Amino acid sequence: MRRSLRQEFYKLRHRKIVWLAPIILLVLMVMTGYAMGYNESKLSMATGYDAPDWIMLILVVVGATTFSMEFQNHAILTLLYKAPAKLDVYLAKSIVILGYNVFLHGVAILWTVLLCQTSLIRPVAWSTVYLYHQPLWENLLKTMAVDVVTTTLIISLIFLLSCLINNNAVVISVSLLVVFMGQFVSSNLLTANQGVRLLRWNPFNMTNLTREYYNYTTYYATSHLQNSQLLLGTLLYTGLFIVSGYLIFRKKRF
Amino acid sequence: MLTVQHVDTYIRRRPIVKDITFTIAPGSIVGLIGPNGAGKTTLMKTILGLTKFSGTIQVAQAPVTETDHRALQHVGALIEHPAIYPFLTGLQNLELYSQDAADRQQLITALEMGDYIRQKAKGYSLGMTQKLGIAIAFLNQPQLIILDEPMNGLDVEATIGVRQLIQRYAAQGTAFLISSHILSELQRVMTHVILINHGQLIVDQPLQQFNQLHQQNYQFRTTAPQQTRQLLEAQQIAFTTHQPYFSVRRETIFALQDLLATHHIYLEELAPVEHNLEQTVVTILAQQREAAHES
Repeated sequence: MRRSLRQEFYKLRHRKIVWLAPIILLVLMVMTGYAMGYNESKLSMATGYDAPDWIMLILVVVGATTFSMEFQNHAILTLLYKAPAKLDVYLAKSIVILGYNVFLHGVAILWTVLLCQTSLIRPVAWSTVYLYHQPLWENLLKTMAVDVVTTTLIISLIFLLSCLINNNAVVISVSLLVVFMGQFVSSNLLTANQGVRLLRWNPFNMTNLTREYYNYTTYYATSHLQNSQLLLGTLLYTGLFIVSGYLIFRKKRF
Repeated sequence: MLTVQHVDTYIRRRPIVKDITFTIAPGSIVGLIGPNGAGKTTLMKTILGLTKFSGTIQVAQAPVTETDHRALQHVGALIEHPAIYPFLTGLQNLELYSQDAADRQQLITALEMGDYIRQKAKGYSLGMTQKLGIAIAFLNQPQLIILDEPMNGLDVEATIGVRQLIQRYAAQGTAFLISSHILSELQRVMTHVILINHGQLIVDQPLQQFNQLHQQNYQFRTTAPQQTRQLLEAQQIAFTTHQPYFSVRRETIFALQDLLATHHIYLEELAPVEHNLEQTVVTILAQQREAAHES
């Protein structure tokens, strides 16, 4: 397992996109800062200049290529026979991308702190009370922590899709559709007003977790689930997708 | 080193490898031969625990299964295509799997990859990629190396280099299982032949024994060609002749020598007719087809 982890970290740190991503993230956060406006300081600070959405986008690209690069470079056979078990390969990939996910959120916090020192937004103290009667710094940290859970759900879905589909472009396209269209699909399902009690637990609805955390009133009306319910659903679907992905990976013929 | 016992591999319920049993001793270089679709690559993948199979596979007495590859810790392989990441340099591709920098450097030198090893692999030619794939298979002093078409895309010098490397590792005790369509090249290194067709093992013999058994004809020259011809015709011994040489089947040569001696005719030359491996394999496969057709 240690060797598989070392190999996955080695590959990750040598990929250009991995090191370009924080810069891309910064550019996108600056653009968001301008778009949100000078007076939306608290929202910008609590949401890390909408970093969750941009991190999701980056992770879809990096995550989708994690498996597909093995198929495209014919490396999957070497990877599999050199690993003690298929589970090691799957777990090592999952752990490494999860680590990168946490790293990106750390970078987003750092960028947020730095951007707050600029004239992009009206200066507000980090101790100012904002969401859930908590200071802004706590809002930011909690938003990022909640978003790690949301993005982990997306990663697990990407892994599941990657085990089903070898084509990188298809995996990226389907993942982006789920991430950015999922909430619309879910809200359309839920506006039908029939079977809402059951339909609100659909996996697309779970992608609302972060947004609902920092904008509860608006998103509760869409998701029909409380924060804790969304969190529980997200964790359960993450587990389900990871286990299903592994079972498919184990049975897959290479 | 490697023991394969009664191994069957099914792919989508179609039998690809059927009840194959063989062993490979340390230091042996086994040539795995067979026509396209015979099941060579599937057999190699099965040994590497990459397909579902029944039967037993052991590497150094430790079992290999589809879910447990611990026995493959000291096995290197190049299957189908070299496993190269284009965003890494050649050296980084080696570092990914390597446990010993000195061993890595030795391989770079032996395969003459020093000039381009620090370049990104995405710019490599077919031959350069193939050499890198071979180097990965040889990393960490494996006890068993499995090579599927290792000479693909290699130039003459590289082919000789790889051949020497195989022989050097074999001399140190590494066992090899090599498949190649370039039988003349395989013939130069292998010590043992395994021939499979339609997933079944047809031949499993040391190369020397294989050559002896399948050299059907002997060629000879005598002190009295005219009399020899008359004697062969009189005794109804089948022969062909390209004067001054006669060619007869292997099983007749002892009777022939007795016959010539009783008539005071002496042999000036007697030697097996050299068949190359390709001809021999084609003959065996044709015989097998014929036998299958008759049954």
